[in-house]
Amino acid sequence: MGMKWYVARRVAWAVVATWIAVSITFVLLVAAPNPGAEAAAQQCAAQGQDPEQCRENYLRERGLLRPLHVQYIDYMGGIATLDWGYSFSQEKPVLEAIGDAWVYSAQYFIPAILLSALGGYSIGLYSALNRYTVADYFGSFIAYFGISIPNFWFAIMLILIVGVWFRDAVIFGFALEPFSLRTFYSTDFPVFSVKNAKQLILPIVVLSTASVAGQMRYSRTQALEYANSDFVKTARAKGATGWRVLIRHIFRVALVPLSTILIAEALALLFAGSFIIEAIFQIPGLGRLTLDAINQKDTPLVIGATLIPVFISIMGNLFQDLAYVLLDPRIDYGDR
Amino acid sequence: MATQDSPGEAFENVDWDEVDAGGGGGLSGLLIAEVTAYVALLAAFAYDYFVLANESPTIGSWNVKDVEWLFALVLVLMFFHVVVPLVRNRRMTAYYWRQFRKNKVAIASLVYLTVLFFIGTLGPLVWAGPNSTIDFATAYAPPYFLGGDLASTDHFFGTDAQGRHLWHLIVYGMRVSFEIGLIATMLSITIGTVVGAVAAYFGGYVDEVLMRYVDIQQTFPVFILLVLLTYLYGASLLLIILLYGVFSWEGIGRLVRSEALQRREEAYVRAANAAGASRGWVIRRHIIPNVSGTVITAATLAIPTFILGEAALSFLGFGDPSTFSWGRTINAGRSDLDSAWWISTIPGLFLFFTVLAFNFVGDALSDAIDPRR
Repeated sequence: MGMKWYVARRVAWAVVATWIAVSITFVLLVAAPNPGAEAAAQQCAAQGQDPEQCRENYLRERGLLRPLHVQYIDYMGGIATLDWGYSFSQEKPVLEAIGDAWVYSAQYFIPAILLSALGGYSIGLYSALNRYTVADYFGSFIAYFGISIPNFWFAIMLILIVGVWFRDAVIFGFALEPFSLRTFYSTDFPVFSVKNAKQLILPIVVLSTASVAGQMRYSRTQALEYANSDFVKTARAKGATGWRVLIRHIFRVALVPLSTILIAEALALLFAGSFIIEAIFQIPGLGRLTLDAINQKDTPLVIGATLIPVFISIMGNLFQDLAYVLLDPRIDYGDR
Repeated sequence: MATQDSPGEAFENVDWDEVDAGGGGGLSGLLIAEVTAYVALLAAFAYDYFVLANESPTIGSWNVKDVEWLFALVLVLMFFHVVVPLVRNRRMTAYYWRQFRKNKVAIASLVYLTVLFFIGTLGPLVWAGPNSTIDFATAYAPPYFLGGDLASTDHFFGTDAQGRHLWHLIVYGMRVSFEIGLIATMLSITIGTVVGAVAAYFGGYVDEVLMRYVDIQQTFPVFILLVLLTYLYGASLLLIILLYGVFSWEGIGRLVRSEALQRREEAYVRAANAAGASRGWVIRRHIIPNVSGTVITAATLAIPTFILGEAALSFLGFGDPSTFSWGRTINAGRSDLDSAWWISTIPGLFLFFTVLAFNFVGDALSDAIDPRR
């Protein structure tokens, strides 16, 4: 019993949740009209053939006219054995297409998360210890700005300013043209090159602005919670300086909840943010792959691309709960 | 005992049914008014749905659609359960108002939102639908304050690629934003509050099953679900609103549960239990009213996330093609950023300030309701 039992149960629950999530996608697929079949029927009708016949042929070719339980077992088996079907729009297996795409998402995503965590924690902790100062108001300004500004609009405004206006703007006799950045991603540059880094600046700025506000708010509330606790008072009484108290005493305790919030926040951003950022900056990552699959009515790829975030989310939640138990000895894991 | 003198006033003679009905004629009158409002709304909807032809206008030239009926229902609900209680409890309202008033930015935000709400709901009666102003001769007219050959006070904020007035697009977008914000929030706080309160009060297996469901719902990000469902079923504003409302209450549910767990142990709940109150009664009369502060704050902060979510969906092209969402207008202006930057910029400013204002009001409300924070 105790911790091992809790961990075992938590992992088992993750497996069950995965099974339920995959089943939900199956039910949705079966219950909804098949977009690919509709397209095939329309094409046949345009060519003067019987649309019903075409729809049936389309469904039979893909094994969608078999009894439901056979289809279900087949579907679950395919997902479990990593045979996720073939994407006709990408002309390769679904998993291979996903494997090729994630690198481009990670390129801007990882720097943005690191940057926002670093920036958010430092502003949050600092403003917590200097309440009602200019720095504090500046911090809450950033928080409101980051939470309220629509991602996609912010990206467009940055393109407008940096990509369009900078091209021929002149301030005090300085032409701003050299500061103008590429606004559309090109895959021609190697990953670790200055040009690639330059074209990733705008996506990283957009994503980290959205994320920094949340990190800042949470770290500020966490720090305020511990600011008057006994161990902080003791540290101060011993003569520790402000920064030492902040980093060695407050941040150390706050790190557990903060790191789990970072995971949750990062996941939420990954889902919605990647669609928007990759659509605007034309980055061929996971979000863009999903969008293309939807536009091409490539059902296996749509399902594959939606399952990836669901799996990541289940794993993220699992690690979050396990991290809590392993890192914080005060948590009682006995009865749940 | 003192009560012996007036037997009519004795404790054991009190008609508790009458007390429960609200202790006087005021509330039952109110109840009648509320029920009448629902019945009237339902009758109007039935008339529109069964009698009038599908495309024929309901009032004047305005054809009221499904989402707008739902919006009207939510507005009636809000009137009877937010506005009326505030007016009835004047002393409490005055107290909260004094707390709220300290935050000047929040006051400005509230004024901005009120103006926007009235323009959004009543504006379509004043300004024609964007599609009726299509005029390619005045396409890409800049806003009036920029000057230029095409600029005119007729279309103060300029026009888009088809010559539609940007102001009309903005007004119709306001309504979409308020519809998604208010309806989805109302749905999600109702479900979240009931589930959270029930889970906390019943405990045991009920709690376990409900919270496991919340876990599952949390693993399925609502944005992904929406993308998947609009892919399979096609987009409509009603579907988007319902999905947001029905699949994003897990945060409020958890919040209410943890709050209600504390309330469950309070003396008044134990007193009610001891007096033989049913479980439904305790939840309805004691637990939910006492977590309402948390719920109201969470609701105000949920509205902007729904508005942003719908705008993002519309921006990506998954929105309802028959509505003029701000996200859709911003997306349409993206290809003309070089030559006509105002098409994306101005609706975006409205969206930004709306979301900002809701966040300011929500934070000020939570400060006013719970000054500990």
